[in-house]
Amino acid sequence: MIQGFKQTQDTVYSLARCQDVCFVARFSGIYRSDDGGRTWSLAYKAPDTDGPLATTTLAATGHDIFAGVKGGILRSSNCGADWFAAVLPPPAPLISALAISPNFEQDGVLIAGTAEDGIFVSTDRGVQWQPWNFGLLDLAVYAAAFSPHFGNDQTILIGTQTGIFRSKNGGRAWRSVSFPMDAAPVLSLCPSPDFGRDHRWFAGTEANGLYVSEDNGDRWERIAADHISGAVNAIIIPPAASQELWVLLDDRLIISRDSGQHWMTSSIFSPESQALAVLPGNGQQHPTLVGFADGTILPLT
Amino acid sequence: MKLTQRPGVVFQPRVHAAMQRGIHSMVNAIRPTLGPVGGVVAIEPIHNKAQKPPEVIDNGGIIARRIIELADRDEDMGAMLLRAMIRRQQEDVGDGTATVAVLFQAIYDAGLRYLTAGENAMRLREHLENALPLILAELDRMTFRVEGQAALTRIAQSLCYDPEMAELLGEIFDTVGEYGQVDIRKGYGRGLKREYVEGVYYPTGLFSREMVDKQEIFRAEYQNPAIFICDFEVDEPRDLFPVLKVAADANIPALVLILRNMTDRAMSVILANKRIDKFKAMAIKLPGLNAEDRLAALEDLSVLTGATPLLTATGETLEQVTLQHFGQARRVWAEQRTFGIIGGRGNPRRVREHFANLEKRFRLTQDPEQRQRIQQRLGRLMGGSATLWIGGATDSEIEVRKAIAERAAAAVRTAVRDGVIPGGGLALLNCCAALEERWQAASESAERAAYRILCEALATPMRVIFANAGFNPSEIMARLAFENSSMGFDVVQKRVVNVVEAGILDSAAVQKAAVRNAVSTAALALTIDTFVHLRKPEIARD
Repeated sequence: MIQGFKQTQDTVYSLARCQDVCFVARFSGIYRSDDGGRTWSLAYKAPDTDGPLATTTLAATGHDIFAGVKGGILRSSNCGADWFAAVLPPPAPLISALAISPNFEQDGVLIAGTAEDGIFVSTDRGVQWQPWNFGLLDLAVYAAAFSPHFGNDQTILIGTQTGIFRSKNGGRAWRSVSFPMDAAPVLSLCPSPDFGRDHRWFAGTEANGLYVSEDNGDRWERIAADHISGAVNAIIIPPAASQELWVLLDDRLIISRDSGQHWMTSSIFSPESQALAVLPGNGQQHPTLVGFADGTILPLT
Repeated sequence: MKLTQRPGVVFQPRVHAAMQRGIHSMVNAIRPTLGPVGGVVAIEPIHNKAQKPPEVIDNGGIIARRIIELADRDEDMGAMLLRAMIRRQQEDVGDGTATVAVLFQAIYDAGLRYLTAGENAMRLREHLENALPLILAELDRMTFRVEGQAALTRIAQSLCYDPEMAELLGEIFDTVGEYGQVDIRKGYGRGLKREYVEGVYYPTGLFSREMVDKQEIFRAEYQNPAIFICDFEVDEPRDLFPVLKVAADANIPALVLILRNMTDRAMSVILANKRIDKFKAMAIKLPGLNAEDRLAALEDLSVLTGATPLLTATGETLEQVTLQHFGQARRVWAEQRTFGIIGGRGNPRRVREHFANLEKRFRLTQDPEQRQRIQQRLGRLMGGSATLWIGGATDSEIEVRKAIAERAAAAVRTAVRDGVIPGGGLALLNCCAALEERWQAASESAERAAYRILCEALATPMRVIFANAGFNPSEIMARLAFENSSMGFDVVQKRVVNVVEAGILDSAAVQKAAVRNAVSTAALALTIDTFVHLRKPEIARD
C-alpha cells in the first residue's frame, strides 16, 4: 500500500471514480483508493507478467470501470473487485482514449482510441472489440467523446494528431470535420453542459488552447485565447455541478459556468509540474484530485 | 443470300417521319421499365434458341444495348441516335436510362409538331438549349443531402425494389461513404451477404506461393514490417542485395518488397532464407496494368506508408537504397491475387492533404474513366472496403440480381455524393413553374414553343410511371393539381403522399444528367434534315 499522494516519476495518465472508489492509471499500473485518494493500492496484477502493466486511460460509469493497457482493455463490472481482460488483435495497440456511451446501460457501447491503430468499438459492454476505421485518415487518436444524444444521433467525436473526425453512425465510419490542421493535435473533447440547447462541442489542443464548435462539430474556432493557451489536457463536466465546464491546463484549472462564454481560474499549480488528469470531487470525503506528470496526485479544496 | 446495302441520300419529310418511327420503336421497348411497378422486356437469344429462354430485362440501358439495328435504315438512324444517348447516360451516372428515353421522345415528338406548323428548327434548338440551365438550376434548388442508413436504404429501395438488398446497400454506403470501395460479387448461398475488409487493399499479390506463412489460409502476414517500393523489374538475385543489406544492417525483422516484376532467379534469394525467426521477406507485385495506374499506386502507397519509392524514370537504381527509402505499416497481408496494408505509418498530415488533392481532382475531372480511377484511389485511402455477395436460386437469378445491385450501388453513390431530389418524377414536374414564368414573358414564338415543349416533356416521366403501374395518368395528374408541390402519388401504396417524407427520392445527378442528355440530343435531332446512307459491305444472311 502506498501512503500519501506522491509517487515520483510514475506519471498519472488518468483518474476515474467508480461509486466511491477512486482509480488512477499510471505507468506502473492501475491503483485504487477507497479513502478519497489518501492511500492507494494496486488494483490489478497481470497474471502472466512481473513487470508493470502500464495503464494509459480509464473510464467509468455506474459500477463499470474500464482501463486501457498495452494490447488490451481491462473491464470490471463491480468497481474493480474483479477484472477481465479483452485482448486486441496484434500488433498490440496502445490505448490512448476510452469513452463510454451515455446510454451504456441499454446499448453497452464503448470506444477505444489507440496511438497507432485508430478506433476499436465494443457493443457488448467491453467483451469484444472490433476495429472500425473507415474514413479515418489519421490513426493516432488522443481523445474521444460521445454526443449526449448518442441514442438518437449516433454521434461520436475523436481528436487525433491532425484534427477531429466525427462518426454519425455509432463509430462505423468517420469523416473529418473542418478543424484547422495547424491547431492539432487535439488532446481533449467534451460536449457543452447545455448541449441539448446549444449543440456546442469543446476541443482542447496540445499547443493552441481551446476550440469551440457551435454546430455539432462541423466548424471550429478558437475561444478564450486570453485565458487559455498551451496544452488543454482535459475538459470535463463535473457530475456534481453539471452546468460547469472544467478545463485542465498544464499549470491551472479553469472553470466556465455559462457554457464557455466566461472563464475563471479556479486553481493554479506549480509551473514545473504538468497537470494531466482531474477527477471532480464528491463531497467532503472525496475531494477533487489532480494528477501530474511527475506522479503526484493533489487534492483540491 | 447476300445483301448489299445501297448508298443514298434521304430528305424531308421522310427524315422526320422515319426518325420518329425509329425513336418510338426504341423508347416503346424501354418505356415499360420506368418506375417501381414497371414491366420487363423479353429479348430473344441470338444463338441456341431451342435451349435458351428469352432474356428478361428491366433496365433501359441493357435493352438499348441489345437493340443493335432496326431493319429500316432510316428508322435505324433515329434509334441509334437515341441508343448513343442512353449509353452516355448509363456511362455517366449508371441509371436514369428509361427517364432519359421518355424525356427525349416527348421533346422530339412535341418539337416535330411545332416544326410541322412552320417553326424554325434552329431557333427552336437554340431556345431549348437556353432553357436547360433554368431546369438544372431548379433541380439544384430542390437538391438536398442524405445522411444515415435509413435514408440511404430508402433511396436504394427506390432503385432496386428489393428490401433485403436495399437494407445492405444502405448500411454499406452509410459506412464506406461516397468514395468507398464496394465490390459486388456472385455468392454461393441463396441470400445476400456483406463483408467489410479493413485497410487498403489492392488486386495484386505475392510473386510466389512459397512466401505464404499462414498455410491454412494461403496468406503471408507480417506485423510492423518495413516496406520498400519501386517500379523496377528485378532480374538477378544480386540486384536485391543492397535492399536486403540495408534491412539487415538496421535489424529489420520483416520486409515487404513491392516491385513491378521479379524473375524466379531473383526470387530465390528471398525463398532461400531459412532463418525466418530473424528475418523474413515477401515480394508483392506493384498494382496497375499500365504506367499511369502504376504511378498512381506508387504515389498512394508511398503516402500511406511513408516510403520513398525508387523510380526507373528518374534513373535511380537499387544500389542507391537507404533506410530512408523504407516505409512502415502496422500490418501487411498478401495472398496470391490480393494484398492489403493496415495502419500505414505515413505522415497523417500528408495522407489528409493527398486525400484532399485527389478529392479536388475528382470534382474537377469530367472524364468518366478518370473519375472512376480517382474514386478507386480515394476509396482505398479511406482505409476499408465492402463486398456485397449476391446469392440466388439459379445462375440467371444471381446474374440479374447482381446487375440490379451494381446499378443501384452506382446510383446510391451518386446520391450520397451529389444529393437527392423528390422522386417519382415530381422534381421534374415542379420545374414547370419556372418555365411557365419564362413562357409568359417570352415574345418570340420559337421561344414560347420551347418552354411549352419542355413543360409537357417534364411531366412525361411521372405520367409514364403512373401508366406503367396501371393507373390513368390524366386522372392522377388532375388529383395532384389540387395538392401542394411536395405531394405526389405513391404507386406502390396507391395513395397521395408527401414524396420526401415517404422516402421517394431520386439521385439529383441522375435526373440532371437525364434532363441534360435528353434536351441537348432532342434539340439536335430536331435539326436533322437529311440522311446520307453509305454503301455497306456485303453481308451474308441465312
